Amino acid sequence: MTTDRDEPDELQVWRVLSEAGLVEIRLDEFAERIRDVKRIVTGRLFDLLNFNTGIQERESAAYSLGTLKGLELKVLANAPKPPDPSEM
Amino acid sequence: MKSTAKQLSTAANWPPEEGETISLRSSTASETAILKEVRWGLVWRDFVLEDGRVIPEHRISGCPQPQEWRKISEVTDQEREECEERLLSMAGAGMDPRERDQSFWAELNQYLAYTYLRFKPPGPTVQGKAQGEARDTER
Repeated sequence: MTTDRDEPDELQVWRVLSEAGLVEIRLDEFAERIRDVKRIVTGRLFDLLNFNTGIQERESAAYSLGTLKGLELKVLANAPKPPDPSEM
Repeated sequence: MKSTAKQLSTAANWPPEEGETISLRSSTASETAILKEVRWGLVWRDFVLEDGRVIPEHRISGCPQPQEWRKISEVTDQEREECEERLLSMAGAGMDPRERDQSFWAELNQYLAYTYLRFKPPGPTVQGKAQGEARDTER
């Protein structure tokens, strides 16, 4: 059996990203993946604020969160519209 | 032994040179194309083809295994900020990441992977280690 401890770093990165669906994002899942990553960053930012540590990381996390929010809005706005049922 | 020798030989000749014809798995089938440029993204290498498509390294035939990845701590603040600006600019220009193998698709994939590895809660896996390294460099 292979454990994390036995697994080379490169394989661990591959496995972690694959499990998160982030190696090659499916075309219809971008908005969902952006939301997933936003949740991770929000959690980390919450910890940093609670423990009042890592000012630089806190600023960086907040900036990344803003970027993700901006990207999410644009990706949703640019999403192809579903067919209008009245035209079917 | 034979496969190890072959891997070493592949790794020594990797990545291919600009202008070489390479084999890759595209979204539809296996094909060959001319390589224009190889560049590191925030996490992995992207292969830019002469026709403008951007293909992640793991889809190129002959890519050594395990694939080489960048450590999170190797990415500078400036590089990350430039990437964020480019992404927002591409999104603002109405580009759609659902156009597979195009610049926006490729860069957004890498940015999400990088941000996930960077902020994921620390654990006994490599991303925790990478976060620790990233935090160490910020101190």
